[in-house]
Amino acid sequence: MTELATRWLGLDLCSPLLVGASPLTDNLDALKACVDAGAGAIVMHSLFEEQLVAEQMAAHRFIDSRINMDAEARSFFPESEVFEMGSGSYLKRLETLQNALNVPVVASLNGISAGGWVQHARELEDAGASAIELNLYDLATDPSDTAASLEQRQLDVVRSVVEQVTIPVSVKLSPFYSALPAFVAGLQAAGARGLVLFNRFYQPDMDLDELELSREVVLSTNAELPLRLHGIAMLFNRTALEMAASGGVHSGDDAAKAILSGATVVQMVSVLLREGPSALARITGEMNQRLSTMGYRTLAEARGALSLANAPNSRTWERLNYAHLLHGWQSSPGTT
Amino acid sequence: MAFQTLDGNEAVASVAYRLSETIAIYPITPASVMGEHADDWATLGRANLWGQVPGVVEMQSEAGAAGAMHGALQAGSLVTTFTASQGLLLMLPNLFKIAGELSPFCMHIAARSVATHALSIFCDHSDVMAARGTGFALLASGSVQEAQDLAAIGHAVTLEPRVPVMHFFDGFRTSHEISKIAVLSDEDLTALVSREGVQSHRSRRMTPDRPVVRGTSQNPDAFFQSREATNPFYQVFPERLEAVMERFADITGRHYQLFDYMGHPEAERVVILMGSGAECAHETVEWLTGQGEKVGVLKVRLFRPFATDQFLQALPGTVTHIAVLDRTKEPGAQGEPLLLEVSGALMEAYSRGDRQILPRVIGGRYGLSSREFTPAMVCAVFDQLRAASPKTRFTVGVRDDVTHLSLEVDNELDIESPQTRRALFFGLGADGTVSSNKASIKILGEGTELYAQGHFVYDSKKSGATTVSHLRFGPLPIRSSYQIRQAQFVAVHAPQFLDRFDVLEHAAPGATILLNVPWTPEQVWDRLSVEVQQVLVDRKVRLYVIDAAGVAEAAGLERRINTVMQVCFFALADILPRDEAIARIKDSIRQTWGRRGPEVVRRNVEAVDSALANLHEVRVPGEVTATRRRPPRVPRDAPDFVQKVTRLLMDGQGDKLPVSAFPPDGTWPTGTSQYEKRSIALEIPIWESDLCVQCNFCAMICPHTAITGKVFEPEAGKGAPDTFEAVPETHTPELEGLDYRLQVAPDDCTGCGLCVEVCPAKDRTQPKRKAINMRPLAEHREAEAKNLAFLRSLPDVPRERIPRDFKSLPLLIPLFEYSGACAGCGETPYIRLLTQLLGDRLLIANATGCSSIYGGNLPTTPYTVNADGRGPTWNNSLFEDAAELGLGMRMGLDRLVGRARQLLEDLREKLPPDLYQDLTGPCATLDEVAMAARREAVTRLRDWLADQQGREAEELSNLADELCPKSVWVIGGDGWAYDIGYGGLDHALASGQNLKLLVLDTEVYSNTGGQQSKATPMGAIAKFAAAGKETRKKDLGLLAMSYGHVYVAQIAMQSHSNHTTKALQEAESFDGPALIIAHSPCIAHGYDLVHSPAQQKRAVDSWAWPLYRFDPRRIHEGLPPLQLDSLRQKVTMKNYMQEEARFRMLELRDPERYEQLVAAASEAAQEQRELYKQLAGIHFEPHEHPEPDQKEGDRHD
Repeated sequence: MTELATRWLGLDLCSPLLVGASPLTDNLDALKACVDAGAGAIVMHSLFEEQLVAEQMAAHRFIDSRINMDAEARSFFPESEVFEMGSGSYLKRLETLQNALNVPVVASLNGISAGGWVQHARELEDAGASAIELNLYDLATDPSDTAASLEQRQLDVVRSVVEQVTIPVSVKLSPFYSALPAFVAGLQAAGARGLVLFNRFYQPDMDLDELELSREVVLSTNAELPLRLHGIAMLFNRTALEMAASGGVHSGDDAAKAILSGATVVQMVSVLLREGPSALARITGEMNQRLSTMGYRTLAEARGALSLANAPNSRTWERLNYAHLLHGWQSSPGTT
Repeated sequence: MAFQTLDGNEAVASVAYRLSETIAIYPITPASVMGEHADDWATLGRANLWGQVPGVVEMQSEAGAAGAMHGALQAGSLVTTFTASQGLLLMLPNLFKIAGELSPFCMHIAARSVATHALSIFCDHSDVMAARGTGFALLASGSVQEAQDLAAIGHAVTLEPRVPVMHFFDGFRTSHEISKIAVLSDEDLTALVSREGVQSHRSRRMTPDRPVVRGTSQNPDAFFQSREATNPFYQVFPERLEAVMERFADITGRHYQLFDYMGHPEAERVVILMGSGAECAHETVEWLTGQGEKVGVLKVRLFRPFATDQFLQALPGTVTHIAVLDRTKEPGAQGEPLLLEVSGALMEAYSRGDRQILPRVIGGRYGLSSREFTPAMVCAVFDQLRAASPKTRFTVGVRDDVTHLSLEVDNELDIESPQTRRALFFGLGADGTVSSNKASIKILGEGTELYAQGHFVYDSKKSGATTVSHLRFGPLPIRSSYQIRQAQFVAVHAPQFLDRFDVLEHAAPGATILLNVPWTPEQVWDRLSVEVQQVLVDRKVRLYVIDAAGVAEAAGLERRINTVMQVCFFALADILPRDEAIARIKDSIRQTWGRRGPEVVRRNVEAVDSALANLHEVRVPGEVTATRRRPPRVPRDAPDFVQKVTRLLMDGQGDKLPVSAFPPDGTWPTGTSQYEKRSIALEIPIWESDLCVQCNFCAMICPHTAITGKVFEPEAGKGAPDTFEAVPETHTPELEGLDYRLQVAPDDCTGCGLCVEVCPAKDRTQPKRKAINMRPLAEHREAEAKNLAFLRSLPDVPRERIPRDFKSLPLLIPLFEYSGACAGCGETPYIRLLTQLLGDRLLIANATGCSSIYGGNLPTTPYTVNADGRGPTWNNSLFEDAAELGLGMRMGLDRLVGRARQLLEDLREKLPPDLYQDLTGPCATLDEVAMAARREAVTRLRDWLADQQGREAEELSNLADELCPKSVWVIGGDGWAYDIGYGGLDHALASGQNLKLLVLDTEVYSNTGGQQSKATPMGAIAKFAAAGKETRKKDLGLLAMSYGHVYVAQIAMQSHSNHTTKALQEAESFDGPALIIAHSPCIAHGYDLVHSPAQQKRAVDSWAWPLYRFDPRRIHEGLPPLQLDSLRQKVTMKNYMQEEARFRMLELRDPERYEQLVAAASEAAQEQRELYKQLAGIHFEPHEHPEPDQKEGDRHD
């Protein structure tokens, strides 16, 4: 059997399989079951900058501005209800998870400005987070906003969060950067310790009957995995940042591929939402089976074995791969 | 000594809470706040003086609270309550009991007018005076400091002589005034309250260990003696009170007496009064004695038991003329209560020979319903006392041109100390002006040596409300218990006020004026009206302007301009160094909003930092240059009554109207809201006729009837204004050939956006463009106002032509329009729809609450009439009795109908046969053809009767309209239906009368600020349920269904208007009682009501609000009476709950409890669904109505 214990962001984990940022954060029983099923760590869902701001301002608009405006109704909520619409409940949740689970709990922050909200990073550390996963999700819609300025803004956010805390900060990225390795180098310089590849875009769908956009969360499939494998394989040995694969891991083989491409840990969400916590035990078993069959005694041996740096046919990860595929369909084996 | 700036309610509640173990409460203005504080403190675990958290319970009514208090007293507990007005009256039976049993008890009353010809939330003493026979001691306070102090004294004194105490202070004037006071510490209270008194009260408790019987029935041989046996307790009460007051003085240094005299030691003329008016009299007497006048004021602190000896002792022996001022009216009495007590005491003393002079005593009424009572009025009273033959009975503060009782008052008189600075602020309800002024008072009161006072005046509108803040501060104690008449600082926080009111009326010469305007400093002068410029020039003011809305918006605070204006006030008022003031404002922001979140603080602080850079002085030229005059307040073609009376009420000048201007019995014309144009929206919906599908959803949902669809003959549209567009009606076959127009009422729209939200019609190439879109009011106001006027002038198509489906119904003329309800109100659309269905045949009995305030609060009211002059007739009696009121209306009406029919029968021989036929056939209220025919027949009958002789013909002519059927609807909120009025509602349903009850269920007491009712859903945070309600919402519908003869429906109009229209029509057509429970989104739910259709749909889809109809008629068709109209649960309870702050608050406060309550609420919904499914599946054999004599037990088949 392969030894699954590993170290990630300086944390000792019993397994590289993690529960990724998801609504599972709110379900303590499910999380306990995940830990029992072998989860190495838990990543909480994100504390969203916009959500924090929006909720505070909504409360200011729809509760506070209705105070002292009517002779009969001094206000419409009990006075003691003027309490934090900020990170309070998130921090409480973090503390609860930290106390109830015997694996590291990683808190997650999601924001795009280096404004006052980054102070929440400190609160997360104070509340006992083992690490922070910083989710950078910035959509450029302004034609004057260049890639360089966007990347600089993101690096500033990372730096300001890192400055707030002593615990490790990993950064969750979207897949679309023109020059990912260079940007990752910038992240490292900004103080990040890890990468999570990649964010899944919860892209809106279209409601053709109503002629409007609809928001529905679509769970991942393992068709999304290759994009992750590619990114991780490219970066392995080219950055000191430890990498987590996120998105599309639904089986032990998927997880094994992530490790082989260079990931230190593997985050899973969709499969847990779909199958429940028992999926973790299944995937752990399958992955272990696969890796040990392949003769790996430790994860470190397997890690990055098929990365751009180590794979026997490593150029397949690069342009030639693309070229091959383009021509491949014309003379695929088995076709005439 | 610790000083704090508090309002009277908080000061009193703080004492009462600490000195009580059980607190039974029920919301009522202006006392609700005391109960809210008590509930809040208990939720936060604050202990009373004995280390216990008091038990706080909200009851179903004040009568319930009184019963609970009585019980708690019997159990040996220390008890308090807070109430006012009608609430106190509901307690009366128990108060007699509590006093009769000599129970130590102190309650606190924010004195308020008892409703007579009209409800009034404002102050007078008619409530406490109605309770003066209960056996309670009546203790009166005149200021916030006194209210706190006498509250403590009241709790202390009641323990020993065992006489219960009713401590009262003036509603709003004292209860809501913020004042700097020396606060009582726990140690002060401990030293004041007798431990022995507490012990002996407890030892009298009911316990089976020492059983007694109380509350016996007594016969003529015993009752009388028992009553007389209480005399000694009342006899010693004044002395005991004096002793407690002395003890209080030893502890605090503040001296009170039963009667406090102030004035010339050899005064000849004295006024006697109690309450806050005495403070104004005190201030005036100081001023008059300073001028050498021999005058004085006697402040009555203890009204009952009336302490004659102490009274005589306090009154200088030199007094020859006395005016006793009562803040109440007892029609037909020899005099008002205080006058009678004073007269009796003096008469007795004189006849006994204890007093050498019998002063001439006159009595006057003042200050009813918070009418201003000023030094000028006090002077007028003193002048009257000097008159050769003073008026024996008089009024002061009104101009009585009917019975000529009123005194002349010199309104120009200003005696206030120049050392006291006075500032006036005109704000909009939602802009935060009052909040920031309260913060300013705290900054000044608690951060400096200055005394500070704040008094706040609100109009009665729930949207676009106007607030006026009166702030005084200075080195001397402030006794001015009246509004500011000469202000050195006037801030106008909304530019539209400049054209709506005389905001500068009370600006003193040389005053500083601050305007928030969206103009540059250079533009300001030219935009002002002649009237405003004239005042600015004449009074040589300094004028400052700021675009505060721009500053606030830039800081991300939308239109909340309060902090910006607060900075400007401090900068201009020059009370504190600027930097210090700004630092204190920021501190105050952090203190108030720090817990809300850092972003709220950051944005407010940013607004503070940007304020001064945008503040500019505008040089006031030496002369008026404007030519534009302030627009007329009401259109020139408005009816005479509106011009002469309503207009002045709207202008805030109503107190200048004489008595003769008013109907003496509270009867007012309807249809006046159309004349009150408030223009409060920034954006209004503008119609794109090319996209419109004429669904009328917008008109259906509009809370203010500010967008309406109308069909009319194309011919009639000729001569329309240029921008008046109409399109052929193409969506309803019955209306073919007519033109259609969708019209906004630009000055009546509140800009809530609901109409645009529900508009389904989209531009296919640019779907965000709908058939209506919000556009700036300023760009469209003029044109749309003209279009509206034109559209209103077009003849209505006959009602019978408009189909009764949910898309066409909004085309019926609404007879409820432009109310002052909140933007986005979820109640008003139901009422509007009801008036469209039945308005010209509708009697409404309305419970007190939001619907009675936006439905019937002056100056203007929204119920209106159609082209024939017919429309809903409306009455609000009380909070608790609407169902009974409606039942009485129904029964009374039916008797008149019966009499009319009887007369018709009597005249049948003479009547033309076809006319008799036309007047007696079936005619249902919903049958428009029959109704039109009946009205026409009644007209013919009248014509015929005009030629007849005899009393019968005359009588029938008077009653002939009753031959057209009428509908009686009872309207009220959930506080009425589920709580205080439930007994009556239940009885009305049980009566079988043809009465319809519409419950506008907001799931809280909305009007008084969101207190929980039994309709509040599980898991919601509300006042009096600050920890989240843990019991289920009462299933009112199921209770009503249990009768079997009641039509019941639960509806949700914002999301299911088709169902609503069906249910309303079924209820109306049902010959018997009907109960409609209507889901009503409300600002107390804590979310943007523009999303209320979607959120209400979630309520329905999660089964938080199932839709159903229970129609007893179906039983006779062999069908189950209950039809579930929302069978499936489509979204989770959590999905519904997480969208409203009332639930989200609980999640933030206590996530685990939230989860538990969400789960419990889901379970409750599940159980209810299962039960309802079974009820809806019951199979009945079709059967005829049972024979009357056939009993259930007789059937053996």
